[in-house]
Order: sequence, then structure tokens, then C-alpha cells
Amino acid sequence: MFLNRQLVLPVHRTVPWRGIGAAGAAGLLLAALTRTGETAERLSLYLLRAAILAFAVGLAFLLDDPARHTTSTVPTRRPVRVALRTVLVVPAAAAWWTVALLLVPPEVRPPVADITLEAGAAFVLAVAGAAAAVRFSEVTRPGRPVTGALLTTAVLAMLFWPGRWALFVPVEDERWAAAHERWGLVLGGAVLLGVVCAIEPLRRRVRL
Amino acid sequence: MTTLVEKPVTSAIRNAPGGSFKAVLALALFESRRLLTRIPVLLAFAVYLGWTLWRAGKAWGDYPALQDADRATQSAPMLVGLAVLLSVNQAALRSRRHGTERHFAVLVLPQWRRTAAHGLSVVAAALLTAVCVAGQFGREALRPAAIGHGSVSELLVGPLTVLLFGTAGLLLAGLVRSAIAAPLLVVFGLFLFAFFWGTSDDATRWLLPAVVEASSNTLPSDLMGRPAAWHALYLAGLALLLGLVAILVAGGRKPVVMAGAAGALAMTLVGGVAQSAGESPGLVKARERATLHPEQVQTCLRRDGSTYCAFPEWGPRGADWAGVVDRVRSLAGGSAHEQDLVVRQRIDARYGLSGDAALAPLERPHEVTVGTQWGGNRVPEFAAAAAGVLIAGDEKAANSICDGRIVPLMWLAVGWESDPLDALRRVRLDDSVTGSAYVLQPTHGLYMTEAQTEVLRALLDLPRDEAGARVKDHWGELTAPKVTAARAAELLDLPAPEGEDKCS
Repeated sequence: MFLNRQLVLPVHRTVPWRGIGAAGAAGLLLAALTRTGETAERLSLYLLRAAILAFAVGLAFLLDDPARHTTSTVPTRRPVRVALRTVLVVPAAAAWWTVALLLVPPEVRPPVADITLEAGAAFVLAVAGAAAAVRFSEVTRPGRPVTGALLTTAVLAMLFWPGRWALFVPVEDERWAAAHERWGLVLGGAVLLGVVCAIEPLRRRVRL
Repeated sequence: MTTLVEKPVTSAIRNAPGGSFKAVLALALFESRRLLTRIPVLLAFAVYLGWTLWRAGKAWGDYPALQDADRATQSAPMLVGLAVLLSVNQAALRSRRHGTERHFAVLVLPQWRRTAAHGLSVVAAALLTAVCVAGQFGREALRPAAIGHGSVSELLVGPLTVLLFGTAGLLLAGLVRSAIAAPLLVVFGLFLFAFFWGTSDDATRWLLPAVVEASSNTLPSDLMGRPAAWHALYLAGLALLLGLVAILVAGGRKPVVMAGAAGALAMTLVGGVAQSAGESPGLVKARERATLHPEQVQTCLRRDGSTYCAFPEWGPRGADWAGVVDRVRSLAGGSAHEQDLVVRQRIDARYGLSGDAALAPLERPHEVTVGTQWGGNRVPEFAAAAAGVLIAGDEKAANSICDGRIVPLMWLAVGWESDPLDALRRVRLDDSVTGSAYVLQPTHGLYMTEAQTEVLRALLDLPRDEAGARVKDHWGELTAPKVTAARAAELLDLPAPEGEDKCS
């Protein structure tokens, strides 16, 4: 436990705050667009989703660690280090999300609990994707490929996700409640993926 | 004794003329291959091609109007453009990411030439998009029943969009050397276009790459009023400007690059200003003339006594209309069987492509309106209008029919089709074949009551010759005003209808 406390500062220094900050700023800009007029208010849900995607892009860089191969031998195991990074970023993400929500005019703000669920699912999915990239490859900076995958998934899901299991529904749609049960499943799946992928394999895959 | 050096030592580097150009070309080939095999680009092309093939033929069926088909190629390449933006940005940052920037510094290619090679790889992606666009449009243009004229400027928008997005990604790599910038730009790209499409007015909407029109009207190509050529110039200038600025940022401060950038800026400005000039007075006048006095610009074709007047581009459609009119007339009895019609093509072009306006019914006797689209539902709609004019005498009277005459009218409209029930479903607003419903027509629609639908269904269930003979035998009584559905059923020897028989 003592060791972990000692780790907080060094890990904090390796978190890519600048990238996350840039993504957060872009997200807040998108959220702030909802205050620019009547049409923008109508689009508030979509702008908020765009903001979520922007911040998720930033979070995909969370596990970037150029020193990955040198720290694999330290006594603190990878799940702890990943958890520490996540814990460090959670307050920042929460603060960002609160500001983003407050930027949307209250009368057009989507149901807060449900949209927070969507945001949570997207954020966890981004980090879990990075954890999976770390788990299954030797890359030191998984952020770049993971953002590509995240954006591709987002576009493909918006275009081709079957209507029976709709996820991206407007607020007034009757499938809103059912869609958010599915978002809950997405969140659960992402958490599970992240936890499974955070575990360090006993052997490195040797490429022959 | 002195040693004679036979040859002075020369530098091992040969400065062959055009050597660096060849090197840029070789690098461009390599980068093009790499760019086109990135997973996002491959996926985007797969989705683009799949979507295009799946949609092909759904929009206009066998009767495309090429001035609409060219615009339909514009939106989908944006997806490819976003993938190219992301991939070319990552490619331009590759040497920095892998820490090989210093190794490249000793090679013949300075950074700005490598940037130029990346720019050429974007051109390759744009060319591939151009091939896809040409294939999509060519497929429509080669349909035997295609009419109208496509515009090269409209077709260029798709490839230019890819070029623009790609050079934007390249410039971004020069300005912000971080892997996170391009994904964020893509997020903005994805959503801000939807945003601006919603909010922008007439002049500013042309600043976006692909400009979608609100109306699905088909207009003669000279009345469209889209500044397509200026827009293509604007897009080309902007793409070129971004690419050349990316080279300038990378250190290629050659006079020719600067001059090129200045030229591209001029192109962008000229195109940007000219495209937002609005509609010229001549266009407004031409649109008004085509709307209010179409006979002044139309050419007419006479066939079997009937006249078919169409805008010049629709000349070949006359034969299709004549085929429908002949079949409708062949089912009619009495004098209607021989009645000659005037088929008049009409549009409301006064609002351009920004809005749909319903056409008012014609009041001249035996004159029928036909729209600018054909195939699919437009066929039974036109047949219903022709049948209405045969029965009521003119279009305005036909549109106010609200009695049992609907039964012979709809029999004429769909009775000759190979699948009359399907035609009936398509011509009714709610796609139903039971109960009451509105019937669509090129002008105002008709209303079918539940009882009339029942009688018509019973009539359609009879063998075709039998039903045709029964209608012709009682033609005069069936087409008399104020006949009820029950009376029509009685005349046709069909079971009396049970449903409501009241127009709303």
C-alpha cells in the first residue's frame, strides 16, 4: 500500500494530461455550441454525444507509456498501475463531464442519468480498448491505433447498428429506455473487457 | 618519384537532373500504396462501395435523371475523406513517432519534399474516389431510359472532398505534431457538418464541400441554378491551398510553391465569392416561364391522336407516357375509349430546389399533368390522373370526384398493370389495399372510401377480360356523377359493399 502511495506522483507524471486536456477542450467547445442558437439547441443531444466522443478520443491515450518495457519488471503489477492511472483520471473526467452538462441549456439537456450512462460507457470502452491493445501487443503507445478503432466503430455503429438494438436514439423516441438498458450492457461489457485486459500475461508472446 | 593521381576524387553523390523529383515520385508511390491499405481507408472504401452498390437503382429505378444522379455521388465520399484525413496525418507523423526523423535528414529528400509525396498520396486516394464516382454515375447514365445532362463540376465534388480532407490532415500534421489532433478534427468533421447543414443559410451553405438540396424535385438542368462550376473551383483551390501551405510549413519556401499558394488562394476566393452570388434575374425569369407558361419552352410529340408535351430533355419519355395512356384508354368504354388527351409536363421551378410546391390541377379539357420523375410509383399516379381526365373531362373536375366514379377510375388506373393490387398499394398514400385512403396524383390527390375500395377489390379479383367487359358494358352509368359505390357494385354484378361510403 505504501508502495502504491509512492507511485502516485510518478504515474501522475506519465499520464498524457496534455492530450486529455486537448480532447477535453475540444469536447467543451462542442458542448458550448449548444448555446449558439435555436438550431443548435435542437441538436444538443448530438453535440453532447460528439463531445463525449471527443473526450473518449483523449482517454484512449490514457495508457500510453513510452517506458512500458522498462517498468514491466517493477514489483507493482500492471493491474495496479492501470488502476492507478484510471483513478487519477476519474476526477478529471467527472469534472469535465459536469462542466459539459452545465454548458448545455437546462431546457434542452437530455436526461442526465441516461446521457451520463452513455458517456460512461464510451469512456470505459476507450480505456478498455487501450488496455486490450496493451494486453495483446507490445506497443508502448496504444492511443493512436485505439482512437482509429474508436472512431471507426463510432461511425460504423451510427450508420449500420441494427434498429432492433438501437443505441443512438433521440430523447423523444419510445426506445430511449430500452436503448439505455443496452448502454448499461455496453458499459458492463467494457468494464469486464478492461478488467480482463489489465491483467499482465505471464509470458510475453514471442514472435518468431 | 612522384605518384600521379590519375583522377581527382569526386563526390559520390551524383546530382542527376530531376533526381529528387524521381525520389519524390517513388516515395509518393510507396505512400499511396500504404495510405490505400490502411484499415480505416479500406473500411471506408468498403462501406462507400457497399452503400453505393446497395443504393444503386433504388433511388430512380430504371428512369434516372442525370442532373440528379450527379449530385447523388457527393455525400458518401466524405466518409472516405475522413478516413484519408486520419491516415495521412498518421503517415506524415510516422517518422517522428518512430524517432527516425534524424535518419531522414541525411537523405536526398528534405522534409518538405516528403510532405509533397504525402500530398501526392492523397491525390491517389482522390483519383480512386473519382473512379468510384465515375462508375456510379456511368451506371446510371448507361441505363437506356436515362434522360437529362450530368455536370462534370458536380461529379468532381466527391474526389475534391477527399483531396480537401486529405490535405487538411497533412497540414494539421505540419502544424500540430501530436497524434490526437487528427482524431479530434474527425470528430468535429463528423458532427459540425450536420450542425452547419442545419443552421446555414443560402450563401454560407456553399462553403461546405457537398451541398445537399432540401427538395427531391427534378428540374430541367438549365433551371437548377446550382453554381456547381464555381463550387468545384472553390473546393479545388481550397484543397490546393491547404496542400501548398503544408509544404510551406514543412520548409519548402520556394518561389514556385509560394506562387502556387497565392494562386490557390485566388482560386478559392474567386470560387467562394462567385458561388454565393445568388440566382441571376435571367434564371428567375426562366424558372417563372417554365412554371407558368411551359408551352413556350416545350416540344410536343403526337401519337395516336394524343399530344405529349415535354421539356426538351424529357423528349424520349413521350413514348413511355403514350404507352400508359394507350393502356388506360383501352380499358375505358364509351367515348372515353377514343378520347384524345394532351399530356403536359409541368414543374414548379419558382423555388428552385429549395422547396416542393404542389401543382394546381389544370382546367383545360382533356389535359393531363405529368411530372418530371418516372418509374415506380410515378406510373400508377400518372395513370390515375389520365383515367380521371378521361372520366371527368378535365383535371380540376377529376380531382374533386368523390363518388362511385372512383371505381371505374381506379380500374382504368391499375387494371392494365401486370400486378394490379401492387400498383393499387403503391398509388395509395398509406400503402394499403383495404379501407379508405388518399390516392396520389401528379397534382392534387383523390380520396377512396372504404366501400369504393371493396368494390374495386372485388372487380380486380375477377378475370381481367371479364372485369373489363363488365366495366365497358355499363360505362355510361358507372361514370355518371353522383353514382354510389353500392350502385356501382350492382351495375358490375358484384357483392354490395359493407364499408363506409362517405368522402371526407
